[in-house]
Amino acid sequence: MNLAFLRGIFIGSLHAMVPITLTATGEVIGESSGLFNIGLEGIILMSAMTGALGAEAGGPIAGLLIGVATGAAIGLVFGSICTYFKGVQLIAGVGINLFAAGLVTFWLIDLGVPGHHAVADEGQMVDISTPLGDLSPMIIVAFVLPVLTYILLFRTKLGLKIRAVGENPQAADVAGINVHRLRLLSTVVGASLAGLAGAYISVDWMGSVTKEISAGRGFIALATVVFSGLNPMLVLLGGFIFGFFDNLAVWVSTMPAVQRVIPWQFVSMAPYIVTLLVVAGVIGRVRFPAAMGIPYERE
Amino acid sequence: MEGKGDIILEGKGICKGFPGVWEHLILDHIDIDVKAGEIHTLLGENGAGKTVIANCLSGFYLLSEGQILVKGKPVTLKSPRDGIRHGIGMVHQELALVKPFTVAQNIVLGLSSSDLTFPLTEVEDRVRELSEKYRLYIDPLARVEDLSAGEQQRAEIIKVLYHDPEILILDEPTSLISTDAEHLFDALNSLAKMGYGILFITHKIEEALEAGDRVTVLRLGKSMGTKETAKTDKTELVKLMFGEHTPVHLERKPVKSDKIALEVKNLEALAADEEPALQGVSFTIREGEIIGFAGISGNGQSELAEVITGLRRATRGQVVIHGKDYTNRSPGEIIRAGVSHIPEKRREMGVIEPMTVAENVVLKDIRISPFSKGPFLNMPHITGHTQEIVSRFGALVSDLWKSQTRILSGGNIQRLILGRETWRMPKCIVAVYPTQGLDAKAVNHTWELFMRLREAGSAILLVSEDLDEIMALSDRIAVMSQGKIAGMLDGGAAKREEIGLMIATGAPKT
Repeated sequence: MNLAFLRGIFIGSLHAMVPITLTATGEVIGESSGLFNIGLEGIILMSAMTGALGAEAGGPIAGLLIGVATGAAIGLVFGSICTYFKGVQLIAGVGINLFAAGLVTFWLIDLGVPGHHAVADEGQMVDISTPLGDLSPMIIVAFVLPVLTYILLFRTKLGLKIRAVGENPQAADVAGINVHRLRLLSTVVGASLAGLAGAYISVDWMGSVTKEISAGRGFIALATVVFSGLNPMLVLLGGFIFGFFDNLAVWVSTMPAVQRVIPWQFVSMAPYIVTLLVVAGVIGRVRFPAAMGIPYERE
Repeated sequence: MEGKGDIILEGKGICKGFPGVWEHLILDHIDIDVKAGEIHTLLGENGAGKTVIANCLSGFYLLSEGQILVKGKPVTLKSPRDGIRHGIGMVHQELALVKPFTVAQNIVLGLSSSDLTFPLTEVEDRVRELSEKYRLYIDPLARVEDLSAGEQQRAEIIKVLYHDPEILILDEPTSLISTDAEHLFDALNSLAKMGYGILFITHKIEEALEAGDRVTVLRLGKSMGTKETAKTDKTELVKLMFGEHTPVHLERKPVKSDKIALEVKNLEALAADEEPALQGVSFTIREGEIIGFAGISGNGQSELAEVITGLRRATRGQVVIHGKDYTNRSPGEIIRAGVSHIPEKRREMGVIEPMTVAENVVLKDIRISPFSKGPFLNMPHITGHTQEIVSRFGALVSDLWKSQTRILSGGNIQRLILGRETWRMPKCIVAVYPTQGLDAKAVNHTWELFMRLREAGSAILLVSEDLDEIMALSDRIAVMSQGKIAGMLDGGAAKREEIGLMIATGAPKT
């Protein structure tokens, strides 16, 4: 093994960590406020689709912004159901996943080739050249956002309020905080980041949309949140670990020598098995907000 | 601040009814006022509506009808924030603190400064300052969950004082700190002297007489009038709180049977913290006999009841029910052996709160006909049965199949549990604090019921902190102290002082 080889794996891992890190960072904000969004997978899928179409119409930046807007819109629906309408969060989240899977499949058929749509070249994001290799500018975003989120949650009054509505909404209400509005805001911001992640996958990383493009990354992001114990800095670490295994699967598929030893199907399982192991290892040791998943009612 | 004696907070004709829950109003045209520089006590039983008034006056609940005036001006309070803005601060009974946060962080939550600031050090300094000024000492950097109940309460009061209120509402503050109430009263008195108007809520008559300048008595959502503490006494307040009532006369015939229903031999068990809770408890209860377990709670009574009903493991010893060994058997087997259980924590152990009234009432009976036929519930029978229990025990519920048990008051939940556990005239009853949260009339009914069950041959293990209850019902009285039975007295002959001394010293009088 030589250095270029390792560098390739490293760069691949960095690209693979972006969607997981972004999504998990957003979900940390949402879960801190007490809402648990199992629909992240669907948001990633939907925004990968809308982002790709947006990028073809107005360039890569427009594509990413459309992704953010898609995430925000779904987050608004999800958040409203779970706060003002006191719906069950799990059902609302599963609804998003089913809706996205159906709509994107249909949409791809409508675009011509069932199941696959390549993003036109002018819609794709251009990597920046660095001494290390070609890197997506979104990698920087994925490193900066968790840090900003950490500052927001643990160093500002707004962050304190967000954590308070997740921990004890009644006490927050008594302190004069609008519980529903703050939970809605937090989950919309969280869903927007999942939207950005989806658009990144199609517009930047893969350059195409398929109906399985989210590939469980929404769920892996949920696992990353568990791993982090709602600390955005640990999301960075968790994101890199999961990104590494995600990338490993892709890398092995290009290496016939390795494939002779381990069939690629097994390597493809790696990210999911690692997810299971990590979550099984840390769960129980992590403390989540006391009121997570419970709708708030005053009277 | 207003001058002493001026009315600063006034509620006129306050009504509150929660939609669909009660057929009567929770608050029925209440008039109440608080003057600057006074402590006004709001006295009433559990379920009388005291907390609801406090929540209405502080903006947490919306009024159904009526008006709130601050310094003579009508105000509309839509949220606690409105209350704070008008100078009304409330100390909630279940303290409104975020447990994993520090005291200072909890205070920051309520500040109106910009969301992107983090004025922690400023808050910490001010908390230390307020601590000194009001002599309510608290470390602003301490995490709330690490504080004792009394300290948490101080933190909550400081949090409320931080906003410079003129009116302070305290909802049952002494329920958390029964041993340290003096300190709280001192603090409240000095606050009143500084000109604060204080509304102090309690269900203890002694506290109302000790702490307050005036007292308003509440009974079942209605105001029974406001008295000056100096011009009233315990007898009058009891009458206002409970209504005129004659104490029941309980007739006791000697125990007829010699058959032993429940025998406990040398029982040992651990408490939740792995410390020994029971250390060799032995006794027998015959059919038609009531044994009252007196003592300060936390001396093993709860664990004893749990071991007998199969909820806690015995580490040694035996539980024998009607001659058969039931030590460490499952709660289901023990229920089927004919043991009823009126549990200590009615909300957690007695009912499943999100389920309906009817479902909870038949919870233990659904396995058998006629409550179920094969796999199906027999709805008409369940409805009739529940209706009978609800009306026999006078529980206030709006709909048997729609009301969640969660929304009922503690006293009404207790009525449902009493009904469920006694209608079958069980052979053996483990009753822990059976009359908690009931009004005087319902207490009398329950005592009469227990005597009837005794007549019919039930063996009853009664755990209570209320000596009157123990003395009225028990054939024999066992005093529990540090996991042991300190002494067994004859119920008819035992003197109050004798029991009291035994409870206090943990030893029989020599």
